[in-house]
Amino acid sequence: MAKKRPNTEQEQPEVKLSKQDQKTLDNLCRLADTVIEAAERVRDPFLDIPSRSLSNVKFNRTKKFIEMGKNTNRRHLFNLSQAKAYMQTLLIGSGCTQLIKQGKTTSIRGLYYLLKHTIEGTKEETFNEQSESDPIIEDLEVLSSSLREELHLYADKKGEMVGPLTLIDNGDEIDCSRMGSGGYGIPSIVEPDRVQFKKCTAKFILHVEKNTVWQRFNEDKFWKKQNCILTHGGGQPPRGVRRMLHRLHNELELPVYCLLDNDPWGYYIYSVIKQGSINLAFESARMAIPEARYLGIRSIDFERCELSRNVTIRLNDNDRKRAVQIKKYPWFEGKKKWQQEIDKMLENDFKLEVEALVNRGISFVTETYVPDRLEDQDFLD
Amino acid sequence: MATATDPATSSSSTGKRNATRRATAETMATKQRDIAVSEFFAKNKHLLGFDNPRKALLTTVKEAVDNSLDACEEAGIPPEIWVSIDATQSGRFRVSVQDNGPGIVKKQIPLIFGKLLYGSKFHRLRMSRGQQGIGISAAGMNGMLTTGKPVLIVSKLSPKKPLHYFELQIDTKKNQPEIINGKGEGIDIEPGEKGLQFIKGNKIAWENEYPISEQHPEPEEVASGTRVTIELAAVYKRGKGSVDEYLEQTAIANPHVTVHYKDPEGLSRSYHRSTLELPAEAKEIKPHPYGVELGRLMTMLAEDKGATLSGFLCDSFSCVSPSVAKTICDTAKLSPRTKAIKVGQSEADRLYHAIQETRIRPPATDCIVPIGEQLLLKGLKHVVPGTFYAAETRPPGVYRGNPFIVEVALAYGGAPQSQKVTRDALDELLTQSDIRSLRKFLIDAFQGIGGESADRILKEAKIPPRCSPAKLTNDQRAALHEALHEVSISEGQAMTVMRFANRVPLQFQAGACAITQSIINMNWRSYGLTQSRGSLPNGPIAVMVHIASVWVPFTSESKEAVANYPEIEKELRLGLQAVGRKLSMYLRCKQQVAEEEERRSIFLRYLKEVASSVSEIKGKDQQGLLERLQKVAIKRTSTADIKLDERGKKVEQTLEADDNVIIIAPPT
Repeated sequence: MAKKRPNTEQEQPEVKLSKQDQKTLDNLCRLADTVIEAAERVRDPFLDIPSRSLSNVKFNRTKKFIEMGKNTNRRHLFNLSQAKAYMQTLLIGSGCTQLIKQGKTTSIRGLYYLLKHTIEGTKEETFNEQSESDPIIEDLEVLSSSLREELHLYADKKGEMVGPLTLIDNGDEIDCSRMGSGGYGIPSIVEPDRVQFKKCTAKFILHVEKNTVWQRFNEDKFWKKQNCILTHGGGQPPRGVRRMLHRLHNELELPVYCLLDNDPWGYYIYSVIKQGSINLAFESARMAIPEARYLGIRSIDFERCELSRNVTIRLNDNDRKRAVQIKKYPWFEGKKKWQQEIDKMLENDFKLEVEALVNRGISFVTETYVPDRLEDQDFLD
Repeated sequence: MATATDPATSSSSTGKRNATRRATAETMATKQRDIAVSEFFAKNKHLLGFDNPRKALLTTVKEAVDNSLDACEEAGIPPEIWVSIDATQSGRFRVSVQDNGPGIVKKQIPLIFGKLLYGSKFHRLRMSRGQQGIGISAAGMNGMLTTGKPVLIVSKLSPKKPLHYFELQIDTKKNQPEIINGKGEGIDIEPGEKGLQFIKGNKIAWENEYPISEQHPEPEEVASGTRVTIELAAVYKRGKGSVDEYLEQTAIANPHVTVHYKDPEGLSRSYHRSTLELPAEAKEIKPHPYGVELGRLMTMLAEDKGATLSGFLCDSFSCVSPSVAKTICDTAKLSPRTKAIKVGQSEADRLYHAIQETRIRPPATDCIVPIGEQLLLKGLKHVVPGTFYAAETRPPGVYRGNPFIVEVALAYGGAPQSQKVTRDALDELLTQSDIRSLRKFLIDAFQGIGGESADRILKEAKIPPRCSPAKLTNDQRAALHEALHEVSISEGQAMTVMRFANRVPLQFQAGACAITQSIINMNWRSYGLTQSRGSLPNGPIAVMVHIASVWVPFTSESKEAVANYPEIEKELRLGLQAVGRKLSMYLRCKQQVAEEEERRSIFLRYLKEVASSVSEIKGKDQQGLLERLQKVAIKRTSTADIKLDERGKKVEQTLEADDNVIIIAPPT
């Protein structure tokens, strides 16, 4: 309370609201209306939150990405186990309202701090950790059918990009071929009103799993030699990176190739880029790239590249379980090659990181492995 | 003494000349003689409850009070009892008990108070406190043996008649009373002002008027009554097994009794009656055939005055009709028309077995007067604090042909005694105590403190458990007093058990008593209490159990523990279960309310946040919404509310109205 008050009181008059902002505010107002209405009718207020779980996603075979189903979870105010979450949902709603009305954007961590305070008359806090507020933000996104950026929120920046591309970010022109060794940090919000593409000569996009691999490719000037855009997402790519890939792919018609670790997590990163994530299935339409291809690392690479035993990592129980789960996902189930790929990994009983290729020479991956795959058009779909 | 040289008496069969013969049948015969019952009990005082000086004091008070109550009830007078104990010199106390009963006629006074086994209660089967007629005369004898002082008796039959005043001693050799005053005749004190002057002048203890109270707003003369004063060597101590405890428990089991008590320290206390209604008069019954033993049967046959066997059976026993008598005779292969006196030993034996084999209906049970559930609750509530009370009177049962009734009452939620003790009282208890360790002292002195709680209290007070109670410093005493109040012992608190037989509290030998055993053997966990195996359940709970019978089976003459008869155990179990069920219902309700209150507090906690969030989004009036939401919350958690506001009513809906429970809403 105490923390929030000063902000609301300082409310700068007349922040110009965009059409989108007005729409988002209307959506949030509708949530608040349910509470007022229920209170007036002396009823138990509740929120129907579309469920974000595997059971509520459908693989759309024609669109080839994951869509959210119609199941909802009802969250009651007067239910012991849901009361706090209900309160938190509305609190996040009020926080976003403040941001929109003041024309500001903040990180999800910032919002957590904005709303974290001790509940009056108790020792309890509204949020104990950020891990409590993050899923509630996602709930609010699906609940108010507003995207995170529409709620004036962004996640921590993660993931970089380099390549023959010039873009305009918030009015600044950026030449992604002149980014030195650091690359252009992909922002969390890359919507067309924020980021516009100006010029691009690249022929394709190579997305690698993490920063270390990306550094290798950048140092070797792979993108110059192959005329491509080089991106990474720091493991599981955040929404900004995925949205950027989606826009590059669709607007500039660049094919996307992924170079990921040969383990269940690598497979799932590919799956998220290609079909969308289960958790954010409602965003698939603007993020999924069904045409993305999996370039490596493959289970057969141990033999194909004649790697040493030393660079393999044994699968643990968790890996095996996850592999079996992924194998059964509908979007992997019908694909023979993928079934073979996963079976092969299980048979190997080890995983291979991209870095394992160093075994064959420091630049083996940039000079031999990837060019060979590209030349042979040897991908998994 | 016989000597070995005496050839006539030496043993000739062994032939050994120097075999020593210590006594002969003849010499021994000179020493063989009658033992007066008084002599026997003088040597075996422990059988009557005079084993130690502390218990002697209690037994003396108890015998006198029990007799007084029996007399008052028999005469139909609401009993009013005065008990006073005065320290006369070190280790000696004068116990004086007066009642407002019918009084005793002059001729009977010496016999009742000066002769053991003389009384009206032994020869009849009727529910009463005393049974044998040993008690008060044994108390007098004990006093006389320890102090040499006579027993003083004052008795008044009516305001118009003279008071009888006796000073008695018992000739233990002959079991005969000896009157000391009035040249062996006793003294008559004339009624009226003159008599009062005489009483004052001779320092005779006598309460002539009722104390002013609600029932006696005007000074009123005690119309009749008896006062007995016994001086004895004793020790006075409060706590478990004390006179104070006895009187308190008597007040519980006898809500129609008023007791005025003055203890040796001069503190006066009164337990006022909560009802004027006397218990219904108990009827005298004939013995039931099943209860009679062979020897007794033979005596009865021999004493019979020439009736036929059939007539004898019908007249001497209850529940025997001529047809039942015929069945018995047929089974015993005896003619119903045989003269009862002529039945020999083997025939009596057959008759005895025939009785056991014949189906005879159980005895009438209207001869037993239970306290009744309502009065049990009243009595318990009067004395034991608590928030919940339940009582159950079982239907009559029969053991060995004796009808009996079990009654159980329970009080839950009272603050333990230890939290009420004042600093002065604690100091006094500590000084009086001769227990070596402080831990044991706590367990003994306070009801409801178990080993676990004692440890916690001592830990809180920072006093080593082995410390001697009498040697505590002033600071330690203060710390202990504080700890007694601070430490919540309701968890580790053991159940307080009060046992009663025919309205008389039983204070000793708890472990040997069927009542205690039944409580321990019951699984109280299923009624929402905690209990370790083989011990009493824990919690702020007191249970009173009353067994009423024409003949309560005690394990010894001192009437301290009830014997284990399967029939009695069964009724005890059923009675305990009945109150247990009521308790668990109450505890469940209480828990539900607590849970609902918890729920409500959680909802209310978040409502303000919700309301302020909504008003932030909508820019709407926050207070109005908050109030409306609070209304919804209170409606949603209405279970807590109904019971909170009208707890009694709500609980009565769950517990039947005639279930005899009292629930006291906690002060808010």
